Amino acid sequence: MQVSLKNYTLRYLSIAFLIIITIWAALFYAFILEEVYDNVDDGLKNQKILILREVYEDPNLLEINAYGINQFRITPVGDGDDFSEENYLDNEFFYMPYDDEMEPYRVLRTGFYAPDQKPYHLEIRTSTVEEDDLILNLTTALVVLYLVLVLGVYLINELVLRRAWRPFRIILENLNLYRFGKKDYLKPVSTNIVEFNQLNEEINQMWRRNEEVFDEQKRFIENAAHELQTPLAITINKLELLMEDESLSESQLTQLADSKSSLRRLVNLNKALLMLSKIENKQYKDVRQINLNQLVKEISEDFQDFLSFKDITLQVAEYGFFDISMNKDLALVLISNLFRNAIRYNIKGGIISITIGQNHLSVANTGNQAPLNQEKIFNRFHKGTQDSQSNGLGLAIVKSIVDTYAELSIDYRFEENMHIFSLKK
Amino acid sequence: MKVLIVEDETDLCDVIKSFLEGEKYIVETASDYASGLAKLANYDYDCVLLDIMLPGGTGMQLLTEVRALGKDDSVIIVSAKDSVEDKVEGLELGADDYLAKPFHLAELLARIKTIIRRKNHHGEQAIQFKDVKLFPEERKVLIGTEEVQLNRKEYDLLYYFMIRPEKLVTKTSLAEAVWGDDADQSDNLDFIYSQIKNLRRKLKNHQAEIDFQAVYGVGYKLV
Repeated sequence: MQVSLKNYTLRYLSIAFLIIITIWAALFYAFILEEVYDNVDDGLKNQKILILREVYEDPNLLEINAYGINQFRITPVGDGDDFSEENYLDNEFFYMPYDDEMEPYRVLRTGFYAPDQKPYHLEIRTSTVEEDDLILNLTTALVVLYLVLVLGVYLINELVLRRAWRPFRIILENLNLYRFGKKDYLKPVSTNIVEFNQLNEEINQMWRRNEEVFDEQKRFIENAAHELQTPLAITINKLELLMEDESLSESQLTQLADSKSSLRRLVNLNKALLMLSKIENKQYKDVRQINLNQLVKEISEDFQDFLSFKDITLQVAEYGFFDISMNKDLALVLISNLFRNAIRYNIKGGIISITIGQNHLSVANTGNQAPLNQEKIFNRFHKGTQDSQSNGLGLAIVKSIVDTYAELSIDYRFEENMHIFSLKK
Repeated sequence: MKVLIVEDETDLCDVIKSFLEGEKYIVETASDYASGLAKLANYDYDCVLLDIMLPGGTGMQLLTEVRALGKDDSVIIVSAKDSVEDKVEGLELGADDYLAKPFHLAELLARIKTIIRRKNHHGEQAIQFKDVKLFPEERKVLIGTEEVQLNRKEYDLLYYFMIRPEKLVTKTSLAEAVWGDDADQSDNLDFIYSQIKNLRRKLKNHQAEIDFQAVYGVGYKLV
C-alpha cells in the first residue's frame, strides 16, 4: 500500500511514541512507588522508635492490641509464634470506614521485649497510595499525552510539511506535465530548501541533456533517411529508365521489374521505420478533435477497390460517435493500418465487420482459422505467416500510435472465427 | 518546355535528365545553391525541380530568393525527408508541389505535366491519344464525342497511361500512383490486372481505338 510521506512518518512516530511512553511510564511508576514506600517506611520506622520509647515509660500501652485511633497494636507472642526483632514491611488491605472499602496500608511488623522481659509483636500501619488508582490516573494522563503528541505531530505534518513539500509537489506535477520540447507551461519552482532546488536543477539538466540527445538522434535519423533515400531513388529511377528499352527480352524485363519491386519494399520499410521513430519521438504534435466514424467512412472508400477485388463484405455498425483528440495523420495511419491488415489477411469472399461505439472501435475480419499470437502480434517484424510482401511493421505502428495517447488502448482476440482488434478509449 | 533540375546528386540528376529528355523536354541542371540561383535569376523555366539539401544553402532559401526576384516559375520540391513540416513550409513559400524521394519517374512526369498545365491554363487543355480525349480540369473523358463515365480510380489509371502513351507503365508504379500507400498489398499484381480489365471493358464498350497491352506481366502499355 502506498502512503504519502507525511503519513508514513506519522505511522512510525505513533508507534515510537507508544513504545517510549510505555517504557517511560513503567520506569516512572517504579521510581515513584519506590520513593513513596521509602518515605512511608522511614515514617513507620521512626514511629516504631517513638512507640517503643513510650511503651517503656508507660507499660499500659502494651494493652493496645487492636488498631484504633493509634495506628498500631501490640500483641504478646504466643507459644510457637515466630519471634524476631527484625523489621518486616508489607502491604495489606484494611477496611476503611471513610471510603467504605478495603484500602492499602503499609504495615511494619517487628518484635520487642517489653520492660517485663516478655516478647511482644508490634504492628504499625499507615495508609499508603492506592496503586490501582495511581496506575489508572497515570495511564489516563499518559494516554492524553500520547494523543496530544500524535495529534501535534499530525498537525505539524499537515501544516508545516505540506508547506515545506510544496515545491516537491510542483516538481512532481511538472514531471507529469512535461512533454518533449515544451517547457513553457511548467510552473516555476521557487524555494529556499536546498534539496528541492538541487532536485529541480538536476531534472532540468536531465531534460536539457535528453533534448539534446533527442535532437541529435532526430537529425541522425533524418540524415540517415536522406542518405538512404537518395541512392534508392537513383537505383529505382535508373531501373525504370532501363525498362523503357524496347529491345529487352521478357526475362530481362521481368528481372528488372522484380529488382524494382524489391527496392520499393526497401523504400516502404525505410518509410515505416522512419514513421515509427517519429511516432515514438512524439513528432506528430498537432492535435485536433477527430471523429473516427467519419474517418472510417473516408478510409473505407479508399479501400473500396481492394474490398471488391477480394470480394469482401464490409459491415459497419455505429452505436455512437467515437471522438478523440489526436493527430490527424496518426489517426489516418491508425485506421488505415487496421483496415489494410483486415483486408490483407482476409479470405476471398470474407467479411470485415467494424463496430463503432462512443468509447470503442473494433475491426473484425474473417481469415485464418487459428488465433494469432496475442503476445507477439504487435511486435516489430513479427510475421504470423510467411508473407513476403508484409514488412511486419503495420501493427507495430498501430501499437505505437495507441501508446502515444494515454487514453487509448488496443487488444486482439479471436472470437467466433473472427480476428478482432478493438480500440478503446 | 524547359525544366531546371537543382540537385546535388549527379547520378539522380542524370537519370531524371535523360528521362525527361526522352519525354521531349529541354533540361538544364544545377548542382548547388549558387549555380541554381544564377540560372533561375537569368532564365525562365516552365518547371523547376528543387532539392531541399543543397551545397551552399537550402532549396527553401533558393525558393524564397527566386520569389523575391518576382519570378513565378513553377516549382516542385523534391526532398528525401518526406516530413510534413517541410511540405507545409515549401508550399507556403510558394512551391507548387512536393515530391518525396524516392519517386517513380512516371509519377514525376505526371506532376510536371499537371503543374505546367495548371500554369498555362488558357482554356481547357485536353490530353489526346487517338480518339480518346481526357480533360484534366473536369476529370472528363471523351471517346470520339461520347463521354465515358469512369470512377475516380479508373480515371486516375487512364490519366497515368494517357500522359505516356506507348510507353511501359509498370504495375508497381501504377499501384502507387493511383492507390498510394494503400497499394502495399500482397496480391497487388493480380489486383492491378483486375482493375485494368475493368477499364479495358469500358473502353471496349465505347469502341475506343486505344487498348492496354500487357508487357510480359511486368506492366502495360497504352496502344
